[in-house]
Amino acid sequence: MIIVVGAGPAGLAAAKSAASKGCHVTVIDSQARGGGQYWRHQTEVYGYKSNRSADYLNELQQNKLITHITGAQVWSAEKLGDGYQLNYLQGGVEKKISAQKIILTTGAYDRTLPFPGWTTSGVMTPGGAQSLLKGHGVVAGKTIVVSGTGPFLLPVATALATNGARVEIIEAQSPLRWALSPLALLLNPGKFPELIHYASAILRLKIKVSFGSAVTGYNDGEVDISKVRSNLSIRKKNVRSAPADVVATGWGFLPDVTLGGILGCAQTLDRDETVIFAVDREQRANVQNIWIAGEATGIGGADLALVEGAIAGLSAAGSKISVALIWKRFTKRLFARALQRSYPVGAGWQEWLADETVICRCEEVSCQEIIESVQELGAEDARTSKLFTRAGMGLCQGRVCSRNVSDIVAGTTKCAVSRNERLAASNRPIAAPISLGVLGDGIAG
Amino acid sequence: MSNDISFFFNGEKFTGTKGQSIAAALIANGQRELRRTRFGEEPRSIFCGIGICFDCVVTIDGVANQRACLIEISSDMKVESSL
Repeated sequence: MIIVVGAGPAGLAAAKSAASKGCHVTVIDSQARGGGQYWRHQTEVYGYKSNRSADYLNELQQNKLITHITGAQVWSAEKLGDGYQLNYLQGGVEKKISAQKIILTTGAYDRTLPFPGWTTSGVMTPGGAQSLLKGHGVVAGKTIVVSGTGPFLLPVATALATNGARVEIIEAQSPLRWALSPLALLLNPGKFPELIHYASAILRLKIKVSFGSAVTGYNDGEVDISKVRSNLSIRKKNVRSAPADVVATGWGFLPDVTLGGILGCAQTLDRDETVIFAVDREQRANVQNIWIAGEATGIGGADLALVEGAIAGLSAAGSKISVALIWKRFTKRLFARALQRSYPVGAGWQEWLADETVICRCEEVSCQEIIESVQELGAEDARTSKLFTRAGMGLCQGRVCSRNVSDIVAGTTKCAVSRNERLAASNRPIAAPISLGVLGDGIAG
Repeated sequence: MSNDISFFFNGEKFTGTKGQSIAAALIANGQRELRRTRFGEEPRSIFCGIGICFDCVVTIDGVANQRACLIEISSDMKVESSL
């Protein structure tokens, strides 16, 4: 049997391809329904070509070789004989499952950058606004500013506007940056109809779009909008303000690398210094019988995740990988690189901060406290700063702030963040909190 | 069959739709603040919306630190702001 962790595009593609070769597959996922964060589906689906999810979701429900465990939060993993055991929580009860082979498709979550007012109720991630809408049928607000960078702002903004919100998009980068990646565009012609789909939706829904700008403050129901350079430093501060009861702000994505980290899979830095897993041609990790696919091996969106998932599934089933699939992955990865080039997240955002701006939301650590830990207490890296300030030591285990804390410390010491610091900051001993009571009750079979 | 589900938030009765998370049902009712922070006593709501950030933690039927964005409402569930 093969266990696939995560029921997003990569996980579903992995399950489908492994089952197509006759393997028994168990897909384990934290949500009540399959589809992951990207293919959240109620009866209606929004966004471009969401219906392509139907094939995969039908397979998940109907293929007798595939078992789907829902509402299960995998909190730890360990080696067991020549296979692996995953420990998970389901409805408050601890359970376990084991298999010889594991495919990790743990996906990603929104990367966020702090700004004065970002802890106010009403500021959320684009993924959060999308999950409220698609997962729960709730439009987050009446007047919504969707800000940050990257193509994900488009489906979020258009879905919110379609459902009656007044929406404005504030994109930090210029669309002209795409001119840096002609080959990626040429090899991915399927992206053009997608672009036209969103462009026409934006016109039809009268969504105002600004480029080269960022939300650098939020107070009393109004966002402050500044002109920013491509490295996100401020070109012109507070050029205008706009009303908003909700600000959906996101700066690309960070992969969830916790589980693979617990299993000892080698991590590396992507070109933009995001921590990802190193995998070989067949999506194999450096640990025996573990495959990793999708965002956890480099942010690239659903198209790349589907191809990587298919490759991982076939490889785990012991099948040959066709050259056509490898070529397809190459073109999608080229597009993923173009995304990094078009929507870079430089360190200039530190100029937006005030002394009292909270950086670590869990432990309420301010920008000033982090800077003081460097200037007055002598911290030279984020780890030491964390010990002084508790930044990154709260319930989320630094998932939201650790990269930003590293950048602020580096901005203060004027030293670059080391590769080891980036890798170490993503290490978490457990993948989700578990109470000692549940732990003490032992594991149900 | 009605899809409406009633639950309590800090003692007040709210109604949501079956399948909705606690956070979604409360936001749909205009109740955005889910808790106050420990030190600054600042109001917090949903942030990541997908169980990563733990900003929306509440106490559910006496069990603390539960993520309101992940857990679905159920009939007569008692939700309280964590401190």
